[in-house]
Amino acid sequence: MATTAVPTTLSPHATLKPDSNSGVWGWLTTVDHKRIGILYLYTALAFFIIGGLEAVIIRAQLQGPNGTLVSPETYNQLFTMHGTTMVFLAIMPLSAAFFNFLIPLQIGARDVAFPRLNAFSYWVYLFGGIFITVPIFFLVAPNGGWFGYTPLTTKAYSPGINIDFWVIGLQILGVSSLAAAFNFITTIINLRAPGMTLMRMPMFTWMSFVVQFLVILAFPVITIALVFLLFDRFFGTMFYTTAAGADPLLWQHLFWIFGHPEVYILILPAFGLVSEVLPTFSKKPLFGYPVMVYSGILIGVLGFGVWAHHMFAVGMGAIADSVFAVSTMLIAIPTGVKIFNWIGTMAQGQLRFTTAMKFAIGLVALFTIGGISGVMHSSPPADLQQTDSYFIVAHFHYVLFGGSIMGIMAGIYYYFPKMTGRLMNERLGNWHFWLNFIAMNLTFFPMHYSGMLGMPRRVYTYDSGQGWDTFNLISSIGAYMLVAATLIFVYNFFASRKRGEIAGANPWGAGTLEWTIPSPVPEYNFAVLPTVTSRYPLWEGSEKDAESARINSQEGKTAEELGIILPYSTIKPMIVALSMVVMFCGLITTMALTFLGAAIMVVSLYSWLLSPLEPEHH
Amino acid sequence: MKGNSRLRQLATFGLVALAVLALGACAAEYPNTTFQPKSEFARSIDFLWDRLLLLGTIVFVLVEAALIFVIFRYRRRPSDTSTPPQTHGNATLEILWTIIPAVILIFIAIPTVKTIFQTQAKVAAGALEIEVIGHQWWWEFKYPQYNIVTANEIYIPAGRTVNFKLNSDDVIHSFWIPQLAGKRDMIANRTNYIWFTPDSSLGPAVYNGFCTEYCGTQHAKMRFRVFTVRPEQFESWVAGQQKPAAFGAVASAAPAATGTPTPPQSGVGPEGGAARAVPRPAGSVIPGSDSFPAAAPMTGASTARLASGYTFPDHQPEFAYARPNSTIPANLKFTKGLTGNAARGQQAYSSSACIGCHVITGNPMSQGIVGPNLTHFGSRSTIGAGSFPNTPAYLALWLKNTRAMKPGSIMPTLGKNEYDPQLKTTVTTGGLDDQQIADIVAYLMSLK
Amino acid sequence: MSAPAAHHYTTTGLDNRKIAIWAFIGSECMLFISLISTYLIYKGRSIVGPYPHEEWTSPEGRHFEPILDIPVTSASTFVLLMSSLAMVLALAAVQNKNVPKRTTGERIIGSSKLWLWMTAILGTVFLGFQAYEFTSFVHEGLTIRTNLFGSSFFTLTGFHGAHVTAGVIWLLTLLAIDYRRGLGPNDALNVDIAALYWHFVDVVWIVIFTVVYLIQ
Repeated sequence: MATTAVPTTLSPHATLKPDSNSGVWGWLTTVDHKRIGILYLYTALAFFIIGGLEAVIIRAQLQGPNGTLVSPETYNQLFTMHGTTMVFLAIMPLSAAFFNFLIPLQIGARDVAFPRLNAFSYWVYLFGGIFITVPIFFLVAPNGGWFGYTPLTTKAYSPGINIDFWVIGLQILGVSSLAAAFNFITTIINLRAPGMTLMRMPMFTWMSFVVQFLVILAFPVITIALVFLLFDRFFGTMFYTTAAGADPLLWQHLFWIFGHPEVYILILPAFGLVSEVLPTFSKKPLFGYPVMVYSGILIGVLGFGVWAHHMFAVGMGAIADSVFAVSTMLIAIPTGVKIFNWIGTMAQGQLRFTTAMKFAIGLVALFTIGGISGVMHSSPPADLQQTDSYFIVAHFHYVLFGGSIMGIMAGIYYYFPKMTGRLMNERLGNWHFWLNFIAMNLTFFPMHYSGMLGMPRRVYTYDSGQGWDTFNLISSIGAYMLVAATLIFVYNFFASRKRGEIAGANPWGAGTLEWTIPSPVPEYNFAVLPTVTSRYPLWEGSEKDAESARINSQEGKTAEELGIILPYSTIKPMIVALSMVVMFCGLITTMALTFLGAAIMVVSLYSWLLSPLEPEHH
Repeated sequence: MKGNSRLRQLATFGLVALAVLALGACAAEYPNTTFQPKSEFARSIDFLWDRLLLLGTIVFVLVEAALIFVIFRYRRRPSDTSTPPQTHGNATLEILWTIIPAVILIFIAIPTVKTIFQTQAKVAAGALEIEVIGHQWWWEFKYPQYNIVTANEIYIPAGRTVNFKLNSDDVIHSFWIPQLAGKRDMIANRTNYIWFTPDSSLGPAVYNGFCTEYCGTQHAKMRFRVFTVRPEQFESWVAGQQKPAAFGAVASAAPAATGTPTPPQSGVGPEGGAARAVPRPAGSVIPGSDSFPAAAPMTGASTARLASGYTFPDHQPEFAYARPNSTIPANLKFTKGLTGNAARGQQAYSSSACIGCHVITGNPMSQGIVGPNLTHFGSRSTIGAGSFPNTPAYLALWLKNTRAMKPGSIMPTLGKNEYDPQLKTTVTTGGLDDQQIADIVAYLMSLK
Repeated sequence: MSAPAAHHYTTTGLDNRKIAIWAFIGSECMLFISLISTYLIYKGRSIVGPYPHEEWTSPEGRHFEPILDIPVTSASTFVLLMSSLAMVLALAAVQNKNVPKRTTGERIIGSSKLWLWMTAILGTVFLGFQAYEFTSFVHEGLTIRTNLFGSSFFTLTGFHGAHVTAGVIWLLTLLAIDYRRGLGPNDALNVDIAALYWHFVDVVWIVIFTVVYLIQ
């Protein structure tokens, strides 16, 4: 690749972009990382709302003792789908929306490494998400919990079609996550603009980078666990058949070797977003940047060595319990360091309390609670009282709602102008934040009590007189308030998209590369590939930084005028994704469908791989 | 600033919440609290909890205080247009806030590891052995030292170490008595143990136990009761349980709702005909033991009680938390005014599907092992693994349509013309009519 | 596969696909680690035979020999190893396509078609061995449903076989391109990536052969 040329000059050769980008067809065929990011965002928000409604029904059922709103069968489907939806269809893809939209912008690239693979990832996610979600509307949804413990999920104890949807659906979604992860790893390693060294990368890109490694190393494990379950259910293998001598803990080990890194897959992108928002609104660089990088990597590495802390009650023995207890406690150290560095970033700054900033501070405040309760059950004996009680529900909602969702919301308010060119309404944002913040605590804080007062998780009802009534009522009221908060957000989102204030390239006075280009971002991102000399090119950059920023902030030029070659739009990745899902659908209907899907998939895949990505260069 | 005053309110809210936690832990209306340990095991966990809570609270207060301080101190003044110091970090600080948490964690790790090895040590000799086998969705308990098999209720003597041997017959369950010990999973192909010594100072009392590993449809109603009793009461109970079931031959029970406090206009059936056993609309909560008064005196009961051993006296107001109060389905009715005959009940029982799944020692026909052992059924306080109080009226409805009472149950619907929600058919031939059910109720209730 | 990547700037100077394939191989490692670990965890846990290395007599009195045939599998392992060698030669031939060949020997060594064919055929022979092994096991009474050994053995080796199959299809695709327009140094990267995958699959087999067949 010695002949590689950096197109830093405006080329006179104009190349017409082959396909139109407008209309539904434009969205179906797009390979533009920004549009795919926006597709991810909308889809994930839709699933977030579905998952939220499931949670509201759960809270309505548990509002008082002996609730009869839904049957036990329905309740079990609801909590299974709430967990599955929020983890795989809402938070992960919300993060993916930012991976897609932001990573190329933050590292100074024109697109991801494999634009068509990127489109494929999205379509697989969409079709897989639909596949796994539709059954809830017919009350045949998965009902084995998001963790799907065997042998409950084997055919012997779950003969219905419910679990089939779950096994196959997760398998499909895994393909999407893996494909995306290969793409982003390559993008971050290989498409950084000149001068964008690893230690100059924005923290969001760094945390995303760590997450992609977690994905490629953790997802194969769940894939295999699911393959075993799928084979057991469809082909009569015995991986989880206890009568044949199988060990029910095999599933748990495989699941949590995936499942614990998955927790960091869910939280690290939010950490990254907050690490972008806090410096901007403190008017100060991120405090302790190298330590933030190393702690993120350390969290990722240690994340693979702590899985069995989900299993302290299974009777692993004193030595294993001790080892996993200590490794779990260790992970608190890099996590704590992050919290302190965020506070360090704000200290001595000039804090501007925009909605994005409030959500970011909300993450710092609430994740701390989730982190502390996490340390509480890193101690196995203490965990024996806490595990599978509502205390755990409180804990991980502080981590995932107080952490991930708060961080993602900060990211949405912060990057909305970059995506749409308009600002979100700050007044409504303020309402959204405070209602959300109060409701979140109202919903989840009382669960600490109900748990320590003996309330088990995953129960569709409970007797009165157990000392849990008040706490459950408060939780339910909080959940209803969360609905109100979310409604404000949805309204704000759509209203601002239409009528929001025009943002301009850098409405927040931020320092990173993505703010050097116009909002919304032109399809080629950067008119010239920037040359980077610092972590905050707009704040502390040299002449070079300023020069490329000046060129890149100019609006109105088309790719064609600038002579930038962009990939062809293509429908093929979507066809491959769709036929893959059709192939999987065959497993629960008729094998003929499987063969049909496979045939279409192979043909369209070849057609995709053998067609050129973009026009020939001149 | 507006946000600041709100933050101040929130800080107050947090402190109030902590105060509530401290108070809540002591209040008596929390029957399943883990904060009032009643065994050395639970106490050692509580000790760890106290330390974790203390250290956690300190960290929480310090971090949030630092955060709030920074928020107030460094908010931008409208007049200020200067650039704040562009610091990039501070090595001393980084080292400090790496080391301090590490030191705090040492104070957690050391007692943690100590407690792990203490509580997982081999149990001392002379412990009471109880085998626990989890089933969807009930508990089988065996006392191998005394040759007793029972279900959903255990008696343990205060002050004696109990060693539970845990297994599962099907999916994974988990064994939890919040006030007495932590959880331990029950897993097929794997034997787990958990042992503890209930405090010798405990008077006769009852504790709720729960399944805490999601195990399917009725995970929520897989509960059990633990009675801590005095050693001599335990001996008496053991002696009673070891005998084959005894019942008064002419024992009778009236499961009908003859004396319900609800006025008769709520009954929709024709006069004198079928009326609702529970004249309440769906979704209502049964307030207490009054709903199903023991309508007719159990003539055989007193003799049966003589033959049986000690039983924990039911219906004590201070143990109301151990009395289930699940809702019963509104459309499940039972004929009014029937009187059960235990002898007829034994015959009906012995010639029906019951014997395929249940053992009653003393009834040679009853040899099924799929369901709970019913030998001393009459001495138990609940039915359906803590779903309902064990009274004639509830039992009658239970026998008539278990799957309506506890959806998903493996025990089939038995009542004639009853709809089985799982098989999606109505029971016709072989179904039990209400009189037969009343007789079986009388029989089972008399098995003290 | 045919993206003209050379025109784009990359940070490392390497082609994107080269980095992606390494990430992919890292991911595949975890896949096979999971499969192999499961096999090892379930080793010796089967309640009924046939067993891999031990004799077994069923309750009905039927006698089963240890089912694994190590000599035959050694042969198939050798075949797969040789295919890796052929793959190396194929890559070299594509890279040196433009180097003039004078002797017959140089022409043979420099024939990308020959070595691609050789690799694909050796891979297919390996698959043939596996098909033979699977059928004979089924005839002897071991299926994927028989016991934990059967389930974990067939799934593990079957997954590997599927990877070999995918590799053979990949090689045949390269061959098709070679016949259509000839593979030259510009295509070396495509062949290089296929080769990396092929060697990886080969190495995985060495591990499986050791763990499943050799260690008793």
